[in-house]
Amino acid sequence: MSKSSIGRKWIVAVTGILMIGFVFIHMTGNLQMFAGTPDKINQYAHLLKSYPLVLWSFRLGLLATVALHILAALSLAWENRIAKPVAYAVAGSHSRMKVALTSVTMVISGTIILGFVVFHLLHFTAHRVDGSYASMETVVAGVTMPDVYRMVVAGFSQPLISGFYIVAMALLFFHLRHGAASVFQTFGLRDQNLVKVMDAGSWIIAAVLFLGFSAIPVAVLAGILKP
Amino acid sequence: MKLRLRVWRQKRCDTEGRFETYEADGLTADMSFLEMLDVVNDRLTKEGKEPIAFDHDCREGICGSCAMAINGEPHGPNEAATTCQIYLRSFRDGDTLTVEPWRARAFPVIKDLVTDRTAFDRVIQAGGFVSVSTGQAPDANAMPIGKVEAEKAFDAAHCIGCGACVAACRNGSAMLFVAAKVSHLGLLPQGQPERAQRVQKMVAAMDAEGFGNCSNQYACEAVCPKEISVDWIARMNRDYALAAAKKL
Repeated sequence: MSKSSIGRKWIVAVTGILMIGFVFIHMTGNLQMFAGTPDKINQYAHLLKSYPLVLWSFRLGLLATVALHILAALSLAWENRIAKPVAYAVAGSHSRMKVALTSVTMVISGTIILGFVVFHLLHFTAHRVDGSYASMETVVAGVTMPDVYRMVVAGFSQPLISGFYIVAMALLFFHLRHGAASVFQTFGLRDQNLVKVMDAGSWIIAAVLFLGFSAIPVAVLAGILKP
Repeated sequence: MKLRLRVWRQKRCDTEGRFETYEADGLTADMSFLEMLDVVNDRLTKEGKEPIAFDHDCREGICGSCAMAINGEPHGPNEAATTCQIYLRSFRDGDTLTVEPWRARAFPVIKDLVTDRTAFDRVIQAGGFVSVSTGQAPDANAMPIGKVEAEKAFDAAHCIGCGACVAACRNGSAMLFVAAKVSHLGLLPQGQPERAQRVQKMVAAMDAEGFGNCSNQYACEAVCPKEISVDWIARMNRDYALAAAKKL
């Protein structure tokens, strides 16, 4: 099954929906930045890191999901290039055959998002972008823990970094506008009624993620989230 | 009425092709696109030149032979119509039209506008048989099929196998064709015994023929002369996964 065209489409769809699930949880966690007190997100981050076995199983699982998604999608995209060796001499502007821009830029948006994820991990997980994050600590209820709140505010106070995060989230929006709708199609959840749900659903998923993630850098730049 | 045609001319599958320009005049708006090609070919023959080779058969929109792209659009500019059902009134006097064969790796050009579409036949053959009892002709209503299911199956069975879906697809994917063929039998009681193996074998044959993969852009549905819905592709994706799960 994993070698066939439809089998690989299922791999892309299943890994895609797992990643959508992950970013939703990630976003919900992040929004604790707005809890009014830095303690909330700091305790949450501390909790996530306090069970190394769970943490690393989760991280490796996620890594495998990302790898499968990319491998299956690229192998399909590669075959697609080969399957259409000659384009029509006159083409393009026909409204009937026009396809959504989001659907033809999946490899590009996906690659930039991958680049962003690497940067994001170096930035807030490995502290390679700004070494001073490693020494940011706070004490909550007598426990010493990393001060995630301060790191985030410090990070997003730099407009270039904030800008890159927001652009990356905009690309995630584009990627999911086509990707989320495609998940429904690959799972076979489509008929004349479901297609409306599918289109609205993919739009909502993409928009909620974009707004939820972008809210934090925007709030830091606007001075709503203060050090 | 007068048209300027830029037509793809290619002697054989292994030679290079190129566009040649022909001035077609003395046309009337009520001529079909193929009749216009007949007029041009008549003249070419009288001039001792090689006529333009193109596929055609029924000329009433049901055989799926007349495969060609007009200005980059499979079957030309009209909704739900094959090339033979395109009339010159769809164009303006003096228009330049570019006429090309289907473009897809799985449909190599044989000559001019004629492509080899036998890949579709092999996909159909891979689907195999349906189990029916032989012997005397069965009673007409021995196997009751509801009106709704019958209509649905017929919607899929409308596919005439012209290949416009492949021709329109940026990936040269045959998913709409294969999905229609898988589904119309899969919806009927006669198609149930072999349903799982049929979808698996037809998809395997489709992959082996070098068609691309569906990336859910739906240009196929837009150009399909029989308005086959991409809902069938979703259904095939589901059917294929269920068939694979059954095997486990």
